[in-house]
Amino acid sequence: MNQIDRREFIKLGLAAGSFLALGSSDLPIKVFGKRETPQKVLILGLDGIDPHLLQGWMREGKLPYFQRLWSQGDFLPLRTSIPPQSPVAWSNFTTGTNPGGHAIFDFIHRDPERYFPLFSASETTEAKKTVRIGNLVLPLSGGEVNNMRKGKAFWQILEEHDIPATVFKIPANYPPVSTKQRTISGMGTPDILGSYGIFNYYTTEAKELKEDIGGGRIHPVSVIANKVEAKLLGPVNTFKKDRSESAIDFKVLIDPVNPVAKISIQDHEFILKEGEWSSWKKINFRIIPTQSVNGICMFYLKQVRPNFKLYVSPVNIDPGRAALPISTPKGYSEELEERFGPFFTKGLPADTKALDNDVLDDGEFLEQDDLVLRERLDMFDYELAKFSSGLLFYYVSSTDQRQHMFWRLIDKEHPSYDPGLASKYGNTIENIYREMDMLLAKAMDKVDKDTVLIVMSDHGFSPFRRSFNLNTWLKESGYHTLINPWKQGREDLFMNTNWSRTKAYSFGLNSLYINQKGREAEGIVKPGPEKEALVREIAHKLENFRDPKTGGRPVLRAFVAKDVYQGPYVEEAPDIIVGYNHGYRTSWAAPLGRIPKEIVEDNTEKWSGDHCMAPEVIPGILLTNRKIKLKSPALYDLTPTILKIFGIETPKEMVGKPIF
Amino acid sequence: MGKAKIKLSKDLMDKVKKYAKMAGYSSPEEFITHCLEKEIAKLEESDSEEEIKKKLKGLGYIS
Repeated sequence: MNQIDRREFIKLGLAAGSFLALGSSDLPIKVFGKRETPQKVLILGLDGIDPHLLQGWMREGKLPYFQRLWSQGDFLPLRTSIPPQSPVAWSNFTTGTNPGGHAIFDFIHRDPERYFPLFSASETTEAKKTVRIGNLVLPLSGGEVNNMRKGKAFWQILEEHDIPATVFKIPANYPPVSTKQRTISGMGTPDILGSYGIFNYYTTEAKELKEDIGGGRIHPVSVIANKVEAKLLGPVNTFKKDRSESAIDFKVLIDPVNPVAKISIQDHEFILKEGEWSSWKKINFRIIPTQSVNGICMFYLKQVRPNFKLYVSPVNIDPGRAALPISTPKGYSEELEERFGPFFTKGLPADTKALDNDVLDDGEFLEQDDLVLRERLDMFDYELAKFSSGLLFYYVSSTDQRQHMFWRLIDKEHPSYDPGLASKYGNTIENIYREMDMLLAKAMDKVDKDTVLIVMSDHGFSPFRRSFNLNTWLKESGYHTLINPWKQGREDLFMNTNWSRTKAYSFGLNSLYINQKGREAEGIVKPGPEKEALVREIAHKLENFRDPKTGGRPVLRAFVAKDVYQGPYVEEAPDIIVGYNHGYRTSWAAPLGRIPKEIVEDNTEKWSGDHCMAPEVIPGILLTNRKIKLKSPALYDLTPTILKIFGIETPKEMVGKPIF
Repeated sequence: MGKAKIKLSKDLMDKVKKYAKMAGYSSPEEFITHCLEKEIAKLEESDSEEEIKKKLKGLGYIS
């Protein structure tokens, strides 16, 4: 059977949102950027490292290498983006602009003609021309996947000046922009389903049989004669007229005495003990008789009896035979796969959804994220050893993910604080900072007098104790009208909204839109003075709203887009960017247009730390081995700084200034 | 609202009344309307919209 490679995927435009490709990297490689540079730049991008926590643990002597770097050079808070979401923040850094220049405003954008949410970072289109043969629909012209970020990435500019760069998993670079530099995509890279990550969980436990949980699928199974038969679901098969899901059958044989099981899937047969993770298993989904799609997944045998519980990770793109464009050149992911074996390719690999839904417990989640971290540290050693000229950017995600999930165990005021768990896992966040200190030690060991070392984060962290239902606030304030008030809170995607009497709505994590005439399908607010007055009025009221329970202000700043953004894409921005206060964030329901009854609610989830606040609440960090001259540096200042080190002038579209 | 009549068995109607009350609906009609609208919406929703919703829900920040 043939495996579909990327070139064929372009041609076929297979599986919505899943299988498309980057053309240029398939061309014969003419190597640019091989000049030996007298100066070098090494950047560690540690997602979410918080300046307050960092400074506290430095003072306590727990982070000696961070401390040493500070004493050799400098340490300042780093101004983050508006809003401080990772795709926005890293795009500021990548392009040296703000969202007005790169057009990434939120994790989630919206289609004003359908009032429907969209992925902000990439867009896929299916094949436009197809032919139907029986129950197969065969594409005749290719679909596309496009990186939606605008503006030039700094490594593209370096390439123009023949300066080599390796950019490892920088967020918001999927598919990787066209370049001959070594780049591999990170946050924003989908799993094989084209999603942010959907795990599978097979269980005999009746209480766990909820139909649909965000980010995962629960499959009821039966143990018959010590055997379980199940299916692992794959991508939607757009070759089929009914767009059915592809699937792989697998079997589990349970040892009748010991807590052990043998799993058989395709040509793999392996034994797991209860509580054991498998290695990566390569699988392929058969799409049509002559074609299949590759993926990799891990199995975790959570329990054998009394209830059978088996977790299977989201199916990641196989880096050795990538069906989707994940690296430039294409051979870079294959090089890593050859050296390290299969590795995590999904954007944010730690399965926070499995922890949030009690499919994995705290310890099991950490075991999984340790696999991510160990892999990341091993690959750092490899890249660091190869680094001899130009620039190396290296990214770590575990710092961000562990703060999201374990903040509740360092914050006694958090609704999810649990003293028992705190005594066991309360040092999780401190430990990941210590791990980063060891990573920094390796970097500092490599750095010579001609190398500028920058350690940075895109934002810091804050507790997320109370959640703000922005659409409910709009409704209660008279800006949003429901069709049937008694149905409030029961439906997503504004299914119950009366648009002819609605002036504003919110999609995404910080974005508020006016229902503007001529832009939205059923817009009622005229652009110009009427809209301008409404925007100012809503922003003012939002900033003055008080939480009825605590008396605090959930919204610290409501930014009017045209006041804070510059560049050619300001018109595409949300009208207001909501900056939440310390302890507050948008609710779980609001980003996809659900309108619960309460305006502010306790956040009782394990996802307990966050950064989708006002930027002044959660700055990032900037440490360097040089003195910083610029006061109050921002993410977009680092981009011209890199260029200046290599003697390149700041392009006029950049808003930042060099820090040295 | 129109006045179309629909025949339901007594057993089903009893259950409708019981669960409408338990779920906080103001009347059995309101409960039935909501159930029907929800089911019809499922049928009307296009595959691609349902796919996109599922895919977005894998993002840790939302549920």
